[in-house]
Amino acid sequence: MPILELRNVVKKYRVGKEIVTALDGVNLAVEAGEFVAILGTSGSGKTTLLNVAAGLEKPTRGEVVFRNVTLNKLKEWQKVAFRRKQMGFIFQSYNLIPSLTAQENVALPLIFDNVPVQERTKRAVAVLTHMGLKDRRKHKPTEMSGGQQQRVAIARAIVHQPRIIFADELTGNLDSHTTHDIMCSLQTTVKKLGQTLLMVTHDRDVANYADRIIFMVDGKIVSEELGGK
Amino acid sequence: MKSYDLLVLANRNLWRRKGRTILTVLGVIIGTTAIVVMLSLGIGLVESQKKQMEQWGSLNMIRVHQAYSYPGEPEENKQRKLTDEAIEEIKAIEGVLAVSPAYEVGGEAKLGRKTGYLQLIGIDAATMELMDFNVEHGRILNENDQFNVVAGCRVIDNFHDPKQQPGREMEWEQGDPLELLDKRVAVTLMNQRQQKRIYSLNVVGILSDKSMEYAWSVFAPIKEIKKMRDFTMQGMGGNHPVPPGKEVGLPQLPRDMPGQEDDQYSFALVRTQDVSYAKYISQELRDRGFNASSMADNLEGIENVARQMQAVLGGIGAITLLVAAIGITNTMVMSIYERTREIAIMKVVGASFADIRTLFLAESSLIGLMGGMLGIGLSYFLSYLLNKYVGAMMFSRMDPENMFQISLIPPWLVLFALVFSMGIGLIAGLYPANRAIKLDPIDAMRNS
Ligand SMILES: Nc1ncnc2c1ncn2[C@@H]1O[C@H](COP(=O)(O)OP(=O)(O)OP(=O)(O)O)[C@@H](O)[C@H]1O
Ligand SMILES: [Mg+2]
Repeated sequence: MPILELRNVVKKYRVGKEIVTALDGVNLAVEAGEFVAILGTSGSGKTTLLNVAAGLEKPTRGEVVFRNVTLNKLKEWQKVAFRRKQMGFIFQSYNLIPSLTAQENVALPLIFDNVPVQERTKRAVAVLTHMGLKDRRKHKPTEMSGGQQQRVAIARAIVHQPRIIFADELTGNLDSHTTHDIMCSLQTTVKKLGQTLLMVTHDRDVANYADRIIFMVDGKIVSEELGGK
Repeated sequence: MKSYDLLVLANRNLWRRKGRTILTVLGVIIGTTAIVVMLSLGIGLVESQKKQMEQWGSLNMIRVHQAYSYPGEPEENKQRKLTDEAIEEIKAIEGVLAVSPAYEVGGEAKLGRKTGYLQLIGIDAATMELMDFNVEHGRILNENDQFNVVAGCRVIDNFHDPKQQPGREMEWEQGDPLELLDKRVAVTLMNQRQQKRIYSLNVVGILSDKSMEYAWSVFAPIKEIKKMRDFTMQGMGGNHPVPPGKEVGLPQLPRDMPGQEDDQYSFALVRTQDVSYAKYISQELRDRGFNASSMADNLEGIENVARQMQAVLGGIGAITLLVAAIGITNTMVMSIYERTREIAIMKVVGASFADIRTLFLAESSLIGLMGGMLGIGLSYFLSYLLNKYVGAMMFSRMDPENMFQISLIPPWLVLFALVFSMGIGLIAGLYPANRAIKLDPIDAMRNS
């Protein structure tokens, strides 16, 4: 029983008079606890796939089923509840809030979930410690390196112990050494907690950390193979 | 989102752009101050008018005068007579605390070597306290007093020494009211038959100068004054049997002539619970046919003028606050432009529409509230300056105790200003908050 399933998903954008087909009939099933990488060239529709799968965008056609619930039929506030409790997000450009410290950024999802402040702090510090950033927790994003910022972003994505994490090009801005460090710690974390990870990348080496690699070309899944590491 | 977290976050966000927030708050400060100061002037006007009127008679007092009848007046137009039944009827009206009937007589009086004319008013001694009689020296009357009286503070000015130079008499000098205290005053009354009677009255108290309407009269127990009045009325009408032989040559007043009628009180004092009752009861008494009037009758007119003034002044203030509200909206819209990415992130990590909306509304309300609080502070300061300099100039002759405040800020105005400025902030934040809600997180993150 897959935790996430895309059934014949089509996503089209209208740009002026032209219609761009970003996803062209995608079928994908992700099992609970699985680490899946989506690999493809720029413009192949990876980001679109991720957003549609997470319910951030509605598919033009087809269905997205997350834990037996058809996401694309839900109201916005119902999807908010899913995001708050069961989903985590990591982006290429970290997307931390510049006015908040690392610790506050990590605790942000908990604020919206009405977690009391002590509990929030405790959990944020624990996750930051796990990511090796305990002594940086009072720093603002601008006072940290890219790698450190991405670690904070990962901490934020896992602090509320989501069932699934969506990651879009999370190592896009990092050098290969930092990429390796981050991928290793992310991999061990999700495995330890039994979390599902759906990751988009155009980097074959990064994709190799995954259990399964899906290849995308022009909005279609063309093939898949098991991960190399 | 918990409201505490919300406030902390909103407050933090505001101070990220200190300069802009301060300028926006400044707009609200000016707006709030304009409204509060303008309204305080209107309130000060009403209050100082009330105080001024109160010097001439307490605002919760009504005077019911005796009926005057005119020849040929139709029966239904006739004023009601102030009889004992009438007094009882007035006492029974809701809101009436006390009623005292009163008789008036006047006569020549002697105080040592000085002579003068005295206006004597007989009232129910038991009600004096309620009727706002304040004695400054000596004591008030009680029910056992007979020929004891209480004199108004200016009664002494009625006396003069006939042996003094006529020239010096013309100079108006204020006498010392204490000169009367514990002295005997001899009052000479004369009736229609030219008979004389002399009464010796003992002054036991002097009224304070707070109530000027009582300043020139002498107050005595009603029983004694009634006897005196009955004496002066002898020979006036057919009511009092006149011994035969004595009426020769005396003009008989026709019964229908306008003027006093002997079978009623001269007037009655009515004390009501408060000013609003006085206004209403005064009207009620007139409706019932009594000849009633009250200081409070004039209040309505003054209040109307003040209300119009307040509407104009408050309108000016409201426009200023409206401009401030537009400033808040502008600031919030700019803030949302700057924070599109941040809003998108919050949405992605689980902020609901309500969270986003309340966050931005909290920020704009905080601007309103801060502006309101500081504006109230500034208003108090300006009000103080207005009273100290402009007010003092306008009422320079007044003694400091009775200093009128031209600007008055009552607690309700403070509360109103706070709620109003915060409400303005809230309303000003509606449009920006709505924009923040509509923002699509995917678009926002793709674009930056
Ligand atoms: N909001 C949009 N409006 C119009 N066209 C869009 C929109 N989003 C994506 N597209 C188009 O859909 C296609 C897929 O875009 P997508 O961002 O999913 O590619 P990608 O695989 O993530 O590329 P990259 O590796 O560069 O991030 C592209 O041709 C893009 O131009
Ligand atoms: Mg992409």
